[in-house]
Amino acid sequence: MDEHAEWRARIGAAADGELSLPEQAALARHVAGCAACAGAWASALEVRAAMARSAGAPGARTVPRRRLGRSARRIVVALLIVGGVIAGWLARDWWGVAADVPVEDGRAAIVVP
Amino acid sequence: MGVRRSSFRNALTLSLGLALAGRASGQEPGVRLTYRLRVMAAHAGDTIEIAHAEVAGPLDTDLRLHLAADSAEVGALLSVLPEPDSLTLDGQFLSRRNVGRSRHGLPVWTEDQYQRAARMGWGRAVRVLPFGRARSGGRALWLLATVDRTAGVGATRPTETVEVVEPDVVFTAEAVARPRRATVTLTLERGDTVSAPRVADLVPDGPPRAIDFSRGTGAATMLQVALAYPEPPPPGRDRVLARGADEVCLRVNDPAGQAPARVICGRLNNVARGVPLAGGDTLFVTFAWPGAR
Repeated sequence: MDEHAEWRARIGAAADGELSLPEQAALARHVAGCAACAGAWASALEVRAAMARSAGAPGARTVPRRRLGRSARRIVVALLIVGGVIAGWLARDWWGVAADVPVEDGRAAIVVP
Repeated sequence: MGVRRSSFRNALTLSLGLALAGRASGQEPGVRLTYRLRVMAAHAGDTIEIAHAEVAGPLDTDLRLHLAADSAEVGALLSVLPEPDSLTLDGQFLSRRNVGRSRHGLPVWTEDQYQRAARMGWGRAVRVLPFGRARSGGRALWLLATVDRTAGVGATRPTETVEVVEPDVVFTAEAVARPRRATVTLTLERGDTVSAPRVADLVPDGPPRAIDFSRGTGAATMLQVALAYPEPPPPGRDRVLARGADEVCLRVNDPAGQAPARVICGRLNNVARGVPLAGGDTLFVTFAWPGAR
């Protein structure tokens, strides 16, 4: 078992409230320098919060995530549309293009005045 | 409206058939046909002539033209179906237009083949729009075509005059007249020794003729030559434009040897063409129109 697997086991125990204060201090010191373990700790807490909420606990809340505002969504949609148009133009240039001229318009004609 | 168009087509088809039947009977003696073409272009609100051509020949002479400009080109075979007071100008057209490019950046062309016909008066000009009525781009070009008939005594040789003023435009006009006879000039060459030129007036599909070539003090060489029309080209562009219709082929046979006959074809344009023969000899052949009788 590697070092991180051991710390993840401690994270699970800490989320369940089974660690002593010195063990919690040691875990906090490690998490402060380990981004992977910090993420694992956050995930462990979110799982337990979700389970508590599904079990009907009124105080349980999931961690709120950042959401885009209305103006930001508009900007993203506008950028996607512009990107689609540019991609379409490049694809048109890549795949070739034929002029949309009716055949009869390009045929010779003899005009008697 | 549809009935009127249909009756017009029927009348046109009938007149084409009658006129073709008349053409098949042969050439009217003493009448020559003259096509006059002027290639016009719009330039700065004005109209300028950028090329012109005049092609004349016997009454069954056709006109083969090629015009290329910008991103389109057209080849056509114009023929005349004469009537007493008017004529029907019949055109077989082959258009080639650049319609875009492929994913590899190569130009994409579309080819089209069709027929146009119009009844017109002798000496009256008609406007031929070679690239259609509505050009999508480039400059507007059109031809003013006039067909006239004049009296000519026994002249079967067609004449061609083409002048292009603007070098950006490719324009050629050729007479397409089926030769009834041909003056063939033959010269036999081996190394530095050349025979005296032999001139023969030959008729296509006529009997073969034996021709003796003497070179200096050596022994004479006898060759058997016969004139014929070339095989018609396969269906397609060449057949539509009557390629080969104004050519003859000379079949050369050495009766003394076992070598297969050699065939050389060409227009009657006074250009010498070489035919390598068995034994190291080279026969130079020149086709020309015979003189007026």
